[in-house]
Amino acid sequence: MTNMIEILTSDYGVHLAILVSLYLILAQSLNLTVGLGQLFNLAHVASYAVGAYATALLSTEHSASFTVCVAVSISLCAAFATLLGAISLRLTTDYFAIGTLAFSAVVSALLINWKSVTHGVLGIPGIPRPELLGIDFYDNGNFLALIGIFAVITQAILYCLYNSPCGRSLRALAEFERAAASLGKNTRRTRNIAFCVSSAFAGLAGSFFSYYLNYIDPSSFGLGEMVFILTIVIVGSPGSFGGVIGATLFLVLLPEPLRFLDISSTYLGPMRQLLHALILFGVVWWKRDKLFPQRRTV
Amino acid sequence: MLELSDIFVSFRSAHVLNGISCSVRGGETVGVIGPNGSGKTTLFNCISGFAPCRKGTITLRGERIDHLEPYLRAQRGLGRVFQNFGIFREMSLLENIQLALESRRDTSAGFLPWSKRTRETIERSMTFLKDVGLDGKAREKASSLSGGQMRLLEIVRTLALGSDLFLLDEPTAGVSPRMKEDIAQSIRNLQSMGKTVLIIEHDITFIQKFCDRIVVLEEGRVVLDDTPERVRSDERLQEIYFGRDDRSARP
Amino acid sequence: MLSILPQLLVNSLITGSIYALASAGLALTYSLLRILNFAHGHIMMLGAYCFLLFYGQLELSFPTAVLYSTLCMMAVGFVMLRIFILPFVQSSTLLPFITTIALGTILECAVSMIFGVNVRSFPSSASSNSMEVRGVYITPFQCAIVVSALLILGTLAFLVHQTSLGRKVRAIAENRSAAESLGISVTLITYGVCILGTLLGAYAGILVGYETNIQPTMGSSYSIKAFAAMVLGGLGNIWGTVLGAYILGLIENLSIGLDFWGYSLPAGYKDAFAFLVILGVLLLRPHGLFGTRSRAT
Repeated sequence: MTNMIEILTSDYGVHLAILVSLYLILAQSLNLTVGLGQLFNLAHVASYAVGAYATALLSTEHSASFTVCVAVSISLCAAFATLLGAISLRLTTDYFAIGTLAFSAVVSALLINWKSVTHGVLGIPGIPRPELLGIDFYDNGNFLALIGIFAVITQAILYCLYNSPCGRSLRALAEFERAAASLGKNTRRTRNIAFCVSSAFAGLAGSFFSYYLNYIDPSSFGLGEMVFILTIVIVGSPGSFGGVIGATLFLVLLPEPLRFLDISSTYLGPMRQLLHALILFGVVWWKRDKLFPQRRTV
Repeated sequence: MLELSDIFVSFRSAHVLNGISCSVRGGETVGVIGPNGSGKTTLFNCISGFAPCRKGTITLRGERIDHLEPYLRAQRGLGRVFQNFGIFREMSLLENIQLALESRRDTSAGFLPWSKRTRETIERSMTFLKDVGLDGKAREKASSLSGGQMRLLEIVRTLALGSDLFLLDEPTAGVSPRMKEDIAQSIRNLQSMGKTVLIIEHDITFIQKFCDRIVVLEEGRVVLDDTPERVRSDERLQEIYFGRDDRSARP
Repeated sequence: MLSILPQLLVNSLITGSIYALASAGLALTYSLLRILNFAHGHIMMLGAYCFLLFYGQLELSFPTAVLYSTLCMMAVGFVMLRIFILPFVQSSTLLPFITTIALGTILECAVSMIFGVNVRSFPSSASSNSMEVRGVYITPFQCAIVVSALLILGTLAFLVHQTSLGRKVRAIAENRSAAESLGISVTLITYGVCILGTLLGAYAGILVGYETNIQPTMGSSYSIKAFAAMVLGGLGNIWGTVLGAYILGLIENLSIGLDFWGYSLPAGYKDAFAFLVILGVLLLRPHGLFGTRSRAT
């Protein structure tokens, strides 16, 4: 027992708490599109990457302040989401999935190849920790407080959004689009809002990711990451607010014991991904009839 | 109230509606009947905006609505009750009504779940549910309702939207015979509130009780448009339903 | 600039042939089941590694290696269909997409744990001396790629459009339950066609291994490229997809080969360009260059 407390208050415990906060923001915002809107959004990690790179570039090359970085990351992601939404939100399910997948593929190809800006696979080192209101967040404990506050605010906003008129319309049109339209709901606008908000929060998470690691490279924003966030939402059951919080805690902490086993680091990454993929498949198998109810059309 | 003139609708090469003209006065109840495939549901889809019309105009209270998107038509007072239940089964009864109230222009919806305006919306939703006797199930999922209850909920939801023109697509389909009278009662309520109602129905004896007029469609054209008594006794109705040569079979 | 054009066209034909073989299998599966199989690129990768294992590492003779790889990939195709796709088809069209993403990840992790993450290539046996025909360089192996692709796709076209088996396949693609009520053994044909698609994918993977090189992470990028070809041709349209694959090859090669106003794109942007094509097509012609509105929604 004392052992547990030692772990939780140690640097390692703080590190895990920061990771949990980060993924809470990411997963709950993906839940808005994948869960409530039943939009199979595979561009979430692309937004995460855009947010992370925006913050990294602004703070290293222009030494911009925390507020500026976060604001730019969020608005850049919202802008990208508006653009992508205009192309793909009017499409049917399959095409929407392919369109968002293509967008994230474009983003990751740009991260690797646009070397003059993103430094390619070398990544961007030396991202300074933020300072706000005279407090610096160089210490991980302080940083945990900052990201924790933001994670709680995000959860609160998204909770209100889920139960707001907009969230209700989103759920309604996911179930039966025509009935929602004949209740006077602007289906296109509702979807666009959801897509934009979801992407903006992914940008926020990206911003914190760069600040926390001080170094980012394209490998953090691959398909594996997308699979992980998707697994969180699906394990937590799409559309359920509490479920996603629980699943975040469970899945972020689950592979940690692997660290203490004597496994060489070349196997550790693949083994984690393998674990996530197996859990994803298992949950889909187990809940296949409930996950995505068939949409109704007349 | 509603004016349709010369409406043509086609999907790919199939012509579904071929020049429908019809006008409905405010407060009137009009039945729409016709054999399967005569274009009844397509006519409703065209009025509510889901089936674009190739030619022709739709006017609601003097305003052209044929170029508007479905949700804008709904906001102008067009209420639609779907044939295969348009309620949201994954949501609670209360949320179904809330959705409708939040679309009204005269109510501003609250964002926060505990705000005063949200509470007001919930209270108003409860009064609507009480009217149809479903307030006891307000927090349950709508999928727990029977067919008849779903239909009642959908009608009262459209009422909460503030519509004054109701398009009811086969309101008795999938409803147990015992509940049919409840549906009839709620249609009479709509009439007493001065709402305009269009009903698609197979059962002519069910609708002739409260229709002022009956429109008969065949192959996307209006064949008959008259009072229920005269439509019932008209020979053309028999022809449409039973073929031209077999006049001995009467309903 | 124009002098390099014939070479670019030939290169496009080679790339296009590989893409066509890869995406034909995907399009066949889509047309029968209306599902997007994300693991198709990983199947290509696995096919290539299978062949590498039997031919490169166990040093079996070429025909034996081919035979063993074929058997292996047939088994993989069967397992994929039986466990990862068919149980979910009834519930929602999205679920097989998710499960095949999981399958793709599983294959990628397994292969990188067994073979390592490094880039591999096949021991080249065929003479790699390129021939020059009117200023265009091409190796005999590249000729073989193009010819074999045309032969395979031609046979496929003959099977689908001229034989009774093909009529059954088209009937299932059009209306599954109607085909079933006509006494067509839907399940058997689905298995047969999808395993054929797996073999085509694996063959394309082996060609990639000979032409360039392979690595465990190549799967998803080939999956997305095959999706690009499908989107170009319209989902479910097999010949549209094959044509889309050649167009994709053309776009990729032209985008990096030609210079635009003195500025040419670096080779790394090739992939980004292919994916941009998807977005462009979705924006302008959402149902493919040759497709009408798809039936399935």
